[in-house]
Amino acid sequence: MALAAQFLLRIPQLGRKNINFPSYKHRGNYQPLFLSCNYSTNDNCSSTSSSKKKNYLELTDDELLRECEMDTYKSSGPGGQHRNKRESAVRLKHVPTGVIAQAAEDRSQHKNRASALSRLRTLLALKVRSSVNLDAYSPPPQLLQILPPKSTIRSSEVGPQIGPNNPKFALGMQALLDLIFAVEGSVSEAAKLLGLSTGALSRLILSDDSLRMAVNEFRTSKGMKPLK
Amino acid sequence: MRVSLTRACRFYTSPITPKPSFFSPRAILNQPFSSSSSSSSHSSTPKPKTPLFLKPPKYSATLSDLKKWHNWAKALASSVRSTFADSDNGPDSSILFRELNWLVEDSLEDPSLIPQLGFQNNSQSVRLRIGLDELYGLWKQRIEKRKPFQYLVGCEHWRDLVLSVEEGVFIPRPETELMVDLVSDVLVRDNDGLRDGFWVDLGTGSGAIAIGIARVLGSKGSIIAVDLNPLAAAVAAFNAQRYGLQDIIEIRQGSWFGKLKDVEGKLSGVVSNPPYIPSDDISGLQAEVGKHEPRLALDGGVDGLDYLLHLCNGTASMLKPGGFFAFEVPISSFLVEVEFTFSFKPHKYHVVEIPFICTSSGSFLKTNGEKQCKFLKNYLENDSACSFCNVSIVSDFAGIQRFVTGFRQ
Repeated sequence: MALAAQFLLRIPQLGRKNINFPSYKHRGNYQPLFLSCNYSTNDNCSSTSSSKKKNYLELTDDELLRECEMDTYKSSGPGGQHRNKRESAVRLKHVPTGVIAQAAEDRSQHKNRASALSRLRTLLALKVRSSVNLDAYSPPPQLLQILPPKSTIRSSEVGPQIGPNNPKFALGMQALLDLIFAVEGSVSEAAKLLGLSTGALSRLILSDDSLRMAVNEFRTSKGMKPLK
Repeated sequence: MRVSLTRACRFYTSPITPKPSFFSPRAILNQPFSSSSSSSSHSSTPKPKTPLFLKPPKYSATLSDLKKWHNWAKALASSVRSTFADSDNGPDSSILFRELNWLVEDSLEDPSLIPQLGFQNNSQSVRLRIGLDELYGLWKQRIEKRKPFQYLVGCEHWRDLVLSVEEGVFIPRPETELMVDLVSDVLVRDNDGLRDGFWVDLGTGSGAIAIGIARVLGSKGSIIAVDLNPLAAAVAAFNAQRYGLQDIIEIRQGSWFGKLKDVEGKLSGVVSNPPYIPSDDISGLQAEVGKHEPRLALDGGVDGLDYLLHLCNGTASMLKPGGFFAFEVPISSFLVEVEFTFSFKPHKYHVVEIPFICTSSGSFLKTNGEKQCKFLKNYLENDSACSFCNVSIVSDFAGIQRFVTGFRQ
């Protein structure tokens, strides 16, 4: 990544300044950000288009963190040895999408940062949509992983079913929501494409609160009844 | 305790007259203190205090008495409002409320009872790790004397650790948490067997950095944690033992490189968060820091850079080729304006990698005055250009330049 030949490199205070975010409510009506990614879910999200259209959930923790602004300090100042004010709450704003996640329950900033990042992944899965090619639909591996073993398209190579506590669940949830959006909220249609009965897919959706809420909000917006 | 000024002259390669205030009266013991040493029999090894959350719950109080205390403590915290913040950038009431919750958490044998504090006139008895009257005393000290919260509860949560701290020992800062990640990243790309070598944490205090690094080293790696203050050495040893790391971390009481002759030229890594506050700035800091934390751990001399200078001068000979160093630095001491024709590679944590070359045109940005520029100039011209490579300035999550790292050529 070489820059132009000669330049005066002044190393400024890198990173961002403190920004006061108003309290953020992410429950309720959200507008899903629809990235018209148009990549087939067959390949590993290595999009051939510009680097902006990527799957944020496939970034490592460090890469994802790099795309965020972290707001912990309400006051400015040098910090470090100069300061003993424990504001361990962490608020992460994912700059490319504007999604915000926070954590405050731990006494260590480090742990709150980890919690906030994990919450951010979930929120990104819930909010960031990619389009899906229904004509030649093949569920990506991360989606197969969250399906129950009885799914007829799920081979044994996929490994055991992973649940909501697994860090990879967010990736699968994202792919599932992409599909549900593509079929306009029809669980039965989605179930067919996943080799499951409608009931089995329904149960999967209901097994996680945020997944259930996301699906139901979308269904409601399409005039359909929420899943129970 | 004897204050040894002759030792002071050995520290510095530049003629800086050490001020008596550098040395905390309790700090100077010329005896080696090492967990493997049996020679120093007459030095009194300080006994580290047990943190509150580890104390046995041998006290009790009724819920209503506890509630009474809690209400009193909340009112006291509430009365502060923003007076501390306005006077010396200290905590405001909301921060104090949070600290009060943590104090209760550490005091109760069963913290799940906390919601029940809301019920009036409850004569049910609860077990406590501290007497109720002592709780009154502690919180009074917090508010009236600005005693740091961490000294009240005897611990600090740092990364995924809980470290014992007490008066006389520096409280590890959240910014320093990143130091462990910097080392961890180096070890991931490690081609020189750094992860199985000797590391050194200079000025270890509670042992925070040493313990953090010990857990990411390879199975044959080890770390020597050095501190001048025998109390810190004792507390660091206690913390290391709590995490089962006493075989990986060796504690040496002494000054900087003074007790490290045996590993000179052999080190895989040198890390430090040395005192870096200018002496005259200390009285202006928030009272929790300036009036309660050990001056020895804060005072970096007139411009705050005395120890950093010493470290930069000494590290090259301590590291083996390819060895790594990382120092935490004070804000704005490393702002540098240079001309380069090299590629600029944005890195994680907002790192800028600067391949140092001998002929940097060096028009230095003056920040806190000429001392810091002189420091940088000395560093570049005498030492680093031939000794170090891949020197980087790493910012913390707030975007403040926090660390300088690099490798021995």
